Amino acid sequence: MKRALWSFAIAAGFAAAPLAVQAQDKVIRVGVVMPISGPASYFGVMGKEGIDLALDQLKAGVNGYRLQVQYEDSACSPLQATNTVKRLLDQFKPHIVIGEECSDATLAIAPILEQAKVVQLNAGSVTMKLTESGYKYVFRIFPNAEQQSNPLAAVAYNTLKARTAVILYEKTNAGNDNADGFEKPFVAMGGKVLARIDFGRDVNDFTAIATRIASLGKIDVLPTFGLEGQQVRLSQALAQARIVKGGGGSAVQMGSIWLPYGYDQKAGQSSEGYVRIVQFDPTEKRKVVQDFIAAFRAKYGADKVPTHINAHAFDAILLVAEAVRRGATDSESIRDRFSKMKDVEVTTGKITFDAKGQNSDLSVVHFVETQKDLSWKGMNWR
Amino acid sequence: MSARTVGFVIAVLVVGALPWLLQAPYWRGILVLCAMNVLLAISLNLVLGYTGQLNLGQSAFFAIGAYVSTILVKTYAWNFWAASLAAVAAAGLLGLALAAFAVRLRGHYLAIASLGFAVITYQVLVNWEKVTEGVRGIYGVLPPVGSMVGLFYLVAGIALAVYVLIDNLVRSPVGDTLRAIREDEVSAASLGINGALWKAFAFGLGAAIAGLAGCFYPGFVGTLVPDAFNIIESFTMMAMVIVGGMGTMIGPVIGAIVLTFLPELLRDFGEFRLMVYGLALTLVVLFMPGGIVQAWRTLAGRQWHT
Repeated sequence: MKRALWSFAIAAGFAAAPLAVQAQDKVIRVGVVMPISGPASYFGVMGKEGIDLALDQLKAGVNGYRLQVQYEDSACSPLQATNTVKRLLDQFKPHIVIGEECSDATLAIAPILEQAKVVQLNAGSVTMKLTESGYKYVFRIFPNAEQQSNPLAAVAYNTLKARTAVILYEKTNAGNDNADGFEKPFVAMGGKVLARIDFGRDVNDFTAIATRIASLGKIDVLPTFGLEGQQVRLSQALAQARIVKGGGGSAVQMGSIWLPYGYDQKAGQSSEGYVRIVQFDPTEKRKVVQDFIAAFRAKYGADKVPTHINAHAFDAILLVAEAVRRGATDSESIRDRFSKMKDVEVTTGKITFDAKGQNSDLSVVHFVETQKDLSWKGMNWR
Repeated sequence: MSARTVGFVIAVLVVGALPWLLQAPYWRGILVLCAMNVLLAISLNLVLGYTGQLNLGQSAFFAIGAYVSTILVKTYAWNFWAASLAAVAAAGLLGLALAAFAVRLRGHYLAIASLGFAVITYQVLVNWEKVTEGVRGIYGVLPPVGSMVGLFYLVAGIALAVYVLIDNLVRSPVGDTLRAIREDEVSAASLGINGALWKAFAFGLGAAIAGLAGCFYPGFVGTLVPDAFNIIESFTMMAMVIVGGMGTMIGPVIGAIVLTFLPELLRDFGEFRLMVYGLALTLVVLFMPGGIVQAWRTLAGRQWHT
């Protein structure tokens, strides 16, 4: 009897094995390559928050598929990102990779994923090269440098009636492309760029730069492109030098989607009058945005307001789920579903990928101005 | 057959077998990186370990090798090997040029001067955009050989050859001269040794070897940006030499292997990876100040006596 029971158990085990394998197979593997260490680690930390929240909401699975995520630290470095992606491809065999945030690292992994025919979904890099290099497996929901800077130039010239500008930008691929994206249309419209001033990510004191700017004469706008920590110090230095409105000057500091919500509180009074474009706006009334904020607060604390980094990462997972909902089962079909997506609504707007893989729908991108009480005021500028 | 010959044969066999033991492309990539790091550790050990010069600018020579070879190949359509030869010569000559000033300095002063050189080199790479492309970087750099296994054999073969060359050098009277300078430059001078000349020799040769390692980096990663050669890289190289055991030939090789594989093996620790890595390094420095080699010798000695 004992032997018979054992035989039955073994036979049942063998019979159940294919079912177990099949159940395990119904998985979409998502590799996440983000800077969890290094100077841009806040991208990775916030990105993980957004992704974890999205995964909580997709626990039941999509179309019978479970989303399995593996996070890897790429430290914003091309070498680390390259190694990380190779490791993911070897060991995790992802159907899609989300990342990186820093443009240099993003550009380093793009050809590797292209060769492996694995989709790369980017939600944080602005460099033009990413979607201008002919990659077939690259998709980006984040507005590229031109999409961010061209509206800034148009608003500066047409709405704010600015005729002179000083462009301040970090010396990176992203900063360069943003600076170019502002300068070309602004100059073409008749504006004059008095100076282009770049700075490394290691610069902490912007007093010298602010002093130089103060000597350049009347400046109407100061488009600035940099990470939050440096932008806070830059705004404070510009205010101290009485250049920008926040310090009693007349120049309007302008910025891009780079800055997370909450920047104004960190920069304090110096950020008054700061004009910038935003893609994710926590004050937006769309249901998807308010639902996201409620879920975010429920998970991470009632006093927390999600940033665009949280939102972009959250949206990236929602997009993968949407592709699976539309029948995607592997990398090739995810690519196919992405390329056909049109007006898919997420917290950062609507997603429609163009032929190059760039999200072309900027309908929710809008301008905000920092008020005296450091709150945002949405501006009806286009 | 001498112990050294046996060791060399074993090393050749291990190098030959490694890509077949680690077949995943990811691990094969790490092997290539490891071979490059071995070259860098050997290069710094010659300067730091054998000549006692606290050089914090080794990342600059690594960068010069990478940029000179890549620019010659991509912009001027040079053959990779000719470009590499020029890159090694450029790194070596710049090493000699720096040595002209560095040989007058010792200890912390030399460390600051060499650190300054690394910072200047980095700034040149960032700002000389017409030549280096600055932060925009150079993309689509191809390796000299098509497969990862081939690249590993190439870099590891060169690392082995360099090891044998430097091993013979430090066992020759030249090695005695360098060690004499390291121990006491004044006493060495009293024996008729021109300290400045030999320190410059070690500096130049170390720089050339770092430049040689740099030639393989862009093809391995596929991109070349200045951030790859920031000052942190110099400290990583120094950690390899110290953890392995400076002033020995095998120590820095072990250090390079450990510090290349350890961060990768710790990836399963997620965000705690760097904490574990830092803790491991601290423990090594605290409890094995002479590095892994000295600790091994101490343990082996105790075993022998008990």
